[in-house]
Amino acid sequence: MILGVTFTEAGVIGLLVATVQFGTLLYLAALGETISEKAGVLNLGVEGMMATGAAMGFIVGVETGSPWLGLLGGAVAGAIVSLIHAAAAVGLGADQVVSGLALTFLGLGFADFIGDGYTDDERRARFADVEIPGLDDIPWVGEVVFRHSPVTYLAVIIGVVAWFVLNRTAVGLGLRAVGETASTADAAGHSVVRLRFAAVATGGALAGVSGAYLTTYLVGSWSQNLTAGRGWIAVALVIFGAWRVGRVAIGALLFGLTLALKSRLTLFDIEISGQFVDMLPFLLTIAVLVVISFRARNRPSPAPAAIGIAYRREER
Amino acid sequence: MKRLVLARRETPTRGGQPLAFLVGLVFALVVGAILLWITGDPVLDVYERMWDRSLGSQNTWSDTFNRAVPLALAGLAVSIAATMGLWNIGAEGQIMFGAIAATFVGRLLPDAPGLILIVAMLLAAAFGGALWSFGPAVARSEIGVSEIITTLMLTEVASRLIVYLEQGPWKDPDGFGFPGVTPRPDQAELGTLWERTHIGVLIALAVIIGFAWYLRRSVWGYELRIAGSSEKAAAYAGISVRRKVLGVLLVSGAVAGFAGGIELLTTTTGKLTVQISNGYGFAGIIVAALALMRPSGVAAVALAFGALQVGGQAIQTNPGVSPAVATILQGLVLFGAIGAAVFSTYRLRLVDRQVAES
Repeated sequence: MILGVTFTEAGVIGLLVATVQFGTLLYLAALGETISEKAGVLNLGVEGMMATGAAMGFIVGVETGSPWLGLLGGAVAGAIVSLIHAAAAVGLGADQVVSGLALTFLGLGFADFIGDGYTDDERRARFADVEIPGLDDIPWVGEVVFRHSPVTYLAVIIGVVAWFVLNRTAVGLGLRAVGETASTADAAGHSVVRLRFAAVATGGALAGVSGAYLTTYLVGSWSQNLTAGRGWIAVALVIFGAWRVGRVAIGALLFGLTLALKSRLTLFDIEISGQFVDMLPFLLTIAVLVVISFRARNRPSPAPAAIGIAYRREER
Repeated sequence: MKRLVLARRETPTRGGQPLAFLVGLVFALVVGAILLWITGDPVLDVYERMWDRSLGSQNTWSDTFNRAVPLALAGLAVSIAATMGLWNIGAEGQIMFGAIAATFVGRLLPDAPGLILIVAMLLAAAFGGALWSFGPAVARSEIGVSEIITTLMLTEVASRLIVYLEQGPWKDPDGFGFPGVTPRPDQAELGTLWERTHIGVLIALAVIIGFAWYLRRSVWGYELRIAGSSEKAAAYAGISVRRKVLGVLLVSGAVAGFAGGIELLTTTTGKLTVQISNGYGFAGIIVAALALMRPSGVAAVALAFGALQVGGQAIQTNPGVSPAVATILQGLVLFGAIGAAVFSTYRLRLVDRQVAES
């Protein structure tokens, strides 16, 4: 017994499975935010983009009967709303914090608006778990790692592709350069505006996929406030992951565990109030940020240097 | 080939910001009309209702004024932090914890005379708000942890704390077993000025004027502005940036918490609930942004936003119209204003592509 929790084998495996599920949710959104911030654009609208993706994902999913199309719909919707932020913050050079927050409002409102008639919808377009042949029989590991929805495997693939593009291609180099010193990147022939728009839209699409994953798998239905602050955890994860694709993944699993704790409470003989378990991911976020900042206080920040700074060619 | 570029105006357009706000409002209403038209709702009908319910009569003006109070105080809280370039995104949570602290005092002194109890509860609320921003303030000033994330995370914590109190320790014994906190003592209620307009309107106005004046005239406000514009200059002038960061975030939290106290003292149920903050903390960020982070502009913007919100509630009572339109409108106002504000300092110019590329 630890903290009034009794562990059983089924309980622990269930917890770890849920950890990977919630980790997938957080990873997709946090990866998108990483890409956007790498290009120098802070987008605090993750929660709004995620909600829009969730609503659109459900609508497209149940109307077409295909969770895959739902996922695609979520991606497109997320990318489209993110372009509003891009237009304001990149195109017009508005304050990125203000614009991102406005996007949060707009996205949450828009999600409720389009999802209005789908709140009590009984229809489902849900992904089935896919077992990786040969590997899913391994005791413990098979269950925890190799029996998931296709979205989890997709997230791994997207992560690898994102790492490759960011670190091993000319486009990735340009994107990172734009996020460090926009004027130098501009002088070197990279289009600051184009790369930043692309980065923001990619971030929006991934946040949208993350939201659609909620409605096409994790929850399966649409309701108001479905995202419940998880988009904000994704924003914090980027700092935790020091803007690195791999470390963000590790962070996603860690925070996924705290989210999973809540949903798995029934499997444990639990004695603490559910509300306190609910607070855990948020308190953990703060604790982790404090520890990271404390350890890094005498080192240069790993944040892209141009983050939050608008670029206007005429004023360099 | 020609292309459009943004060129800086030699002098910013006068009166640009109020104009930008108006443009934002019009932009939001136009886009909102398109959304309503798409869903087949009677656009003019809905907007007429919004007008009637927010500014249409003296009676509804009360609702708009009352609504403007928490919006203005939250906006003030955000703009105070912004004088130093800090973002208090968690005013929402500080409002909640302010209300928790006020409720605590109400439970402690259930038989105190009304005026004393009201003052004690409001002071407790301000203290509670400061307490809720204390962690993020220390983390920011001592080790540079982004206050954006920490204040926001604490908002989520505060809302769950209220649910816990509702279900457990503060559960109303007369609540027929339903979760809910015992209402505040009856004598702890702010009176009204006219119609339903409560005294909180005057209190909020006094607080805002006080801060606007103090920030502009005091040494503290002067040092804040210096530290906000350049840390180097501040250090050179012997100003401790760290202490300023700590202080400004605590004051910001206190103002937000105070708003929570006013809300608790004016709700008709007198109960602490998760809805006590009702998104005011987040809307306050928009209000502050539209007021260009100037405390003096916050009251005017909050009044306009109050009307928008109260009017938006009227939409919700319209059968078949999505209540989300009101939320969308609020976001759109800001985007419209951001866009318009850019054009008060910049103008569009057509230039030759060759010139633009060189």
